[in-house]
Amino acid sequence: MNAMTKEATIAATPSQKPALLEVRQLIKHYPGRGVWPKPQPIKAVDDISFAIGYGETLGLVGESGCGKSTAAKTILRLIEPTSGAIVLEGTDVAKLSTSQFRPYRRDLQIVFQDPYSSLNPRMRARDIVAEPLQNFGRSGDCDDDKMAALFARVGLDKEAMRKFPSEFSGGQRQRLGIARALALNPKLIVCDEPVSALDVSIQAQVINLLEDLQHELGVSYLFVAHDLAVVRHISQRVAVMYLGRIVEIGLVGELYANPRHPYTQALLAAVPKVGVGLARAKTLLKGDIPSPANPPSGCTFRTRCPLARSECAGSSPQLTAQGTQHWAACHFIR
Amino acid sequence: MTTPLLEVDDLHLAFASREGVTRALEGVSWQLHAGEMLGIVGESGCGKSVTAMAVLRLLPAPPTTHISGAIRFRGENLLQASEARLQQIRGNEISMIFQDPMTSTNPVLTIGEQIAEVLMLHQQLGRRAAWARAVELLDLVNIPDPQRRVHEYPHQFSGGMRQRAMIAIALACKPDVLIADEPTTALDVTIQAQIMELLDRLRRETGTAIVLITHDLGVVAESCDRVVVMYAGAKVEEATTAELFARPSHPYTRGLLDAMPRLDTPLTEPRSRLPEIPGMVPSLRSAAVGCRFSPRCALADNRCRSEVPPLAPIVAANPSHRAACWRSVSEATAV
Repeated sequence: MNAMTKEATIAATPSQKPALLEVRQLIKHYPGRGVWPKPQPIKAVDDISFAIGYGETLGLVGESGCGKSTAAKTILRLIEPTSGAIVLEGTDVAKLSTSQFRPYRRDLQIVFQDPYSSLNPRMRARDIVAEPLQNFGRSGDCDDDKMAALFARVGLDKEAMRKFPSEFSGGQRQRLGIARALALNPKLIVCDEPVSALDVSIQAQVINLLEDLQHELGVSYLFVAHDLAVVRHISQRVAVMYLGRIVEIGLVGELYANPRHPYTQALLAAVPKVGVGLARAKTLLKGDIPSPANPPSGCTFRTRCPLARSECAGSSPQLTAQGTQHWAACHFIR
Repeated sequence: MTTPLLEVDDLHLAFASREGVTRALEGVSWQLHAGEMLGIVGESGCGKSVTAMAVLRLLPAPPTTHISGAIRFRGENLLQASEARLQQIRGNEISMIFQDPMTSTNPVLTIGEQIAEVLMLHQQLGRRAAWARAVELLDLVNIPDPQRRVHEYPHQFSGGMRQRAMIAIALACKPDVLIADEPTTALDVTIQAQIMELLDRLRRETGTAIVLITHDLGVVAESCDRVVVMYAGAKVEEATTAELFARPSHPYTRGLLDAMPRLDTPLTEPRSRLPEIPGMVPSLRSAAVGCRFSPRCALADNRCRSEVPPLAPIVAANPSHRAACWRSVSEATAV
């Protein structure tokens, strides 16, 4: 079984090589609570592997509690992984000590979901954006012209530099968060639900900004979101997570047009569609996502799966190839 | 046409604070008919939730709040109703479910106590009868094992189950009107589909009319009979759902629809840019001079900036589709 996982790991890489970032068999288990019965670990991220190419966007989708944010934060080591490799341009940064890892933080930045709580309310916008530069001893790069250029790049004017976060709207705050992430010219920005707190009209502005920056700077994104339409628009490849595992991964066009895993099919069917005369035809998934502290045996999706049979309780399905650059983990793919 | 069940008529609402007067609603009108699901859509701050709060008089009293116009429920103006009369109406004839199922249940009472409370208060049921009915209601909203679940506390329920319990509380007295304020916003998409399916089924079974307040045009498209689009405290467009999505007429409605990434557009490489609505929602502190949307509107001309456009039918043949826009109306009549 291990060999199969290996194979899937190697297979599930982008077409273009070498990859900027390769995540191999990443695991994050949290200790369970209590003393008796013997607590089981909570498997927040349970053996996932993927790769991100230069200038590429990988979308990571799933419902709340599926481990997508944990996976994203583990890559930055904001959460320490339990095991697994995080290979950034050939170096396994998961094995480095904190001080050895520090220089690599310049290449890995993050934009958070909540533009209200992720900016220090007592700091001026300019200081918020300049802080990463100062942290890495590049105070010389914080002069007014360079900061104004950075503000202009995210669509904020010079006057904004003097303001406090409370003086900005949600969309503008998210622009500030993006400017802060860009300050060190990173190679990869992890976007953890960057537009889910924004209104539709503002969301489009921020998505366009992220796309423009990618074209100009060649930065790669790991785009974590629950909105399938947004992920489809911004990503080249998409990974679908359920209960700590990747159940399907592939090129965006292929995955959305031809979803193979029953969970991906159900997710896509559940998205409300705007269109004339579209009948509501849904495979309604029953019940809620099970607790990761006590996941079902075998395939973790089997408790909600319309295709589940008794075999599904036995063994956990591995990612298998479904055509060009498309993998899904299900025993009964038709 | 029959008399509407619930009618909001030229509702104006303003909040006074130290910073000045905020005009939250400026002449909003809509009607809800029996058995209907009416969608009210708009972005944060457009006044959609405050309209719902006004219907049940859940807002602070004057002088901080100034309210004018009329809210008629079966012809009775709720703005002039006594507090005792409102107590009879709330939760009994008109009930409400809120966005956040985490904070709108009482954490120290079991789900059963919270449902039974409504029944004992409004329907004078005895304790035993109320609890039996609570179990039935949990079963009605598809909560598995209701006999056991009725004795559990809200924290033992998942988000989706808590929202279903909220719906059970709201439906306990078989209200004529259910106001659902962003009922699925805090939920995952598969759970959202379950809740919308449930609301739709309950509407068909019980005949309860529903006002669905949401920012999600997709949810509206799939569930509602009619839609009201709000922007900055005013109604900018109103139509049947099919008509609105077939012929969105106000530039704001069109902008909202275009700005949404969709699952059915072709994927190009590089991607085509999403059409943005430039700028931001205006402050409601100043009185409207001209169309509130004109600073963000590509079609705006001098008249848009100086005169407030009235709601008018887009085409004479279909008087139920109306928009408040000088340009879309004049263009449509020109064609």
